[in-house]
Amino acid sequence: MNRSLKLGTSLVAAMLLSSAAYAESYGPYPITEKSYSGDKTNSVSYSGQVARNVMIDSLKKLAGKANGGANAEELKATMMLYFARANKEDLAIVSHEGKDGFPIKQTMVNEISSSSNLVGKTYGGLVPGYPGSKTGAEVVEHMIHHAAMSDGGVDYDLGYDYGQLIQKFLIGAVSYNQIVDNYLDEKMTAGNKPNNKPYSDGAAYTGKEHSWDEGFGYFGAPAHALDLDANQAYGISKKKELAAGDANGDGTIDLKSEMTFGNAYYAADADKSGTDYLHTITSAFIEGRKVITSADGAALTDAQLSQVQALAATIEDEMTKVLAEATFKYAGSVYKDIEKIRADKANIDDKVYRDYIKHWGELKGFAMALQTGRENLGGTAVRLNRLIGYGPPTKDESVVTGIDADGNFVKEGKMSWNTYQLNMLKVQDLLLKEFGLEARKNDGTENLAALVKELDTDSGGAETD
Amino acid sequence: MEYLDQIIGLFSDFSNPKKRVFVGYLGLSVLIAFLWLILFQKTSLRTALARIFDRKVFFSSSAMTDYKIFLINRIFTGFISPLLLTQVAIATAVYMALVRSDLTLWGAYEHVSKPLVVAMFSVAMFLADDFTKYLMHRWMHRWPALWSIHKVHHAAETLTPITVYRIHPLEGVLYASRNAVAQGSVISVFYYLFGNTVDLYTVVGVNVLVFVFHVTGSNLRHSHIDIRYPRWLEHVLISPAQHQLHHSIAEEHYDKNYGAALAVWDWVFGSLHVSDGQKDMKFGLRDDEKHPATSLLTAYFTPLREIYDMSRATIGRLTSKARQRLRLPRHHAAERDAQN
Repeated sequence: MNRSLKLGTSLVAAMLLSSAAYAESYGPYPITEKSYSGDKTNSVSYSGQVARNVMIDSLKKLAGKANGGANAEELKATMMLYFARANKEDLAIVSHEGKDGFPIKQTMVNEISSSSNLVGKTYGGLVPGYPGSKTGAEVVEHMIHHAAMSDGGVDYDLGYDYGQLIQKFLIGAVSYNQIVDNYLDEKMTAGNKPNNKPYSDGAAYTGKEHSWDEGFGYFGAPAHALDLDANQAYGISKKKELAAGDANGDGTIDLKSEMTFGNAYYAADADKSGTDYLHTITSAFIEGRKVITSADGAALTDAQLSQVQALAATIEDEMTKVLAEATFKYAGSVYKDIEKIRADKANIDDKVYRDYIKHWGELKGFAMALQTGRENLGGTAVRLNRLIGYGPPTKDESVVTGIDADGNFVKEGKMSWNTYQLNMLKVQDLLLKEFGLEARKNDGTENLAALVKELDTDSGGAETD
Repeated sequence: MEYLDQIIGLFSDFSNPKKRVFVGYLGLSVLIAFLWLILFQKTSLRTALARIFDRKVFFSSSAMTDYKIFLINRIFTGFISPLLLTQVAIATAVYMALVRSDLTLWGAYEHVSKPLVVAMFSVAMFLADDFTKYLMHRWMHRWPALWSIHKVHHAAETLTPITVYRIHPLEGVLYASRNAVAQGSVISVFYYLFGNTVDLYTVVGVNVLVFVFHVTGSNLRHSHIDIRYPRWLEHVLISPAQHQLHHSIAEEHYDKNYGAALAVWDWVFGSLHVSDGQKDMKFGLRDDEKHPATSLLTAYFTPLREIYDMSRATIGRLTSKARQRLRLPRHHAAERDAQN
């Protein structure tokens, strides 16, 4: 009796310990699709989404190769392939190249997936934050056109960092939009992609399983994200943390399951300030997948559907907050950059100005990304777009006001550094109120808070007259 | 070792120039008292020393209670100090309200010369602090619930510099909140107008004006050394004698001299009483306040009991009023009677 008690206790303890040490991964999950006759044993598949995340990041890298016009045509053609390839062209993974001490398994996009492109999955609505009444795809094409003609992806005169603008916008317009407005939205209703049918003929997964997996793929977290803390998840993307990223221990990072991309990367970035977006979202994905798997290839019951929809709602809320946190963070960066610029307006430091344009690109890209969700942000979007404008104040305080009939940027406005810096505070204020942010990186009121603490006026406390 | 640190921590105010009882200020107060007695009261050296270090004052049972309350309250301070964060919250809230407003004054004066901004800020901080102290103190005397709390301080029958700490913990919370609101607002308004130019003129880390208040004998306010200022000056600054008069049990001294450093607030709002040279003022509370100077239990629990009783009485009054309102109006009753 005593012995079996000891044994039992040790077993329970060992189980608890191992579950603490190895949190649940997203997959593998068994095959429940009854019509499948192949020899696969894992129904999880989201390589097309990983390929898209890779192409989004590659576009940023490519924009940097612009050399002031000489290679414009060629570069534009290349960038357009990453955005809208139609014939399975194999493309180099320029965004995630391995290096000494951080080998990466794949070097070509087709090693991940050959059939996917971005254009077909880009937000189809109008993008009000961008001049010229363009759809998401038209915005990207317009930016690619100008990026290819720029110098290193940056137009100092207009204040645009195209690489940042394109990448940040697509994190929303493709990845976020596909999750919240497609795979976890209409595809999680009873009639759409039912669980008692394969996603497509002959597939190893059901309609619901694959829709959910695609959502997770777009999110961009490593499958073992729950095992990682924010710094590790973030570090993988920075080509650090090989040990943490290499879940299967084969010594390389498999982009298909061990890399942190886009939305997940910014969730981890926020989490470094104490939030828990990455784990909350990943857990919701895992829970939802388990509900779907538990249906064992039958149509989801109403109860299962509402469970899955509730988890989808959590994912949407948290992902939206992550984009808002990123917008908040870069509004704060721009605020701080302008602080430095204003210290000596007549002689703006090149490095400061370069950082400012980069940060503005990130801010603008995320602000537009935030508006590609399922819900129309209404007045919040209008205010956000007006505060941020079509472009930042450039060296002589002139700003882009629109585009002409030929698609060229028109820069006819003026905006003082002072006013624009104040606008950044208002952007942060707006985001804070609308989305209830918690990470609040680069808060523009940091200096005030520091001043209050520095003055450290005697808090009164226990004395009186 | 940890115990020792904690014990030393209890007395940290004595080494903190932001506090009135900082040893430096206490030393200067002794010096000022000494000069006052010798030069103006023409007492002998020996008499002056005996008066300043009067055993009957410092070892009175009332003073002993002050010391105990000081020590007990140090434990409460741990609960109060997190309010420093509140000051950041208030400052940020006021600042963002200004940012959101249609005022176009954000950073409008950031090119004003730094010395001027710092001087204005130092004065504004001092004035806001002193005025809100006046207001709060006035309310502490005039609102019955607050008076219950503030009585703890006024129960002292001898005054020593430690009497500033003879205070109910609830009053500590109120004072800390007042401080956060007053200073948080001034900081944010200045930061809104002047940006990063904002700074304080400080001496040993203290607003220079507060420093002046302390080095000129702020500790003598709670003492038996009744230093008076010229009549005109007592309309501007509260002298130690004026504050002692505030503690006096005599009827003509009730509700006078609420001010901390400045007397102008009292002057403007009609509560000023210049010192009248009255010797041997009696400090403390009237017997009908039922608040003995030496009872710790009374000090900590009677205010709570009194506030509880007051709120019960108020609720009772309100419910009986509500009941009366709910009764049918008279003519309805008459109609009903007619129908019957």
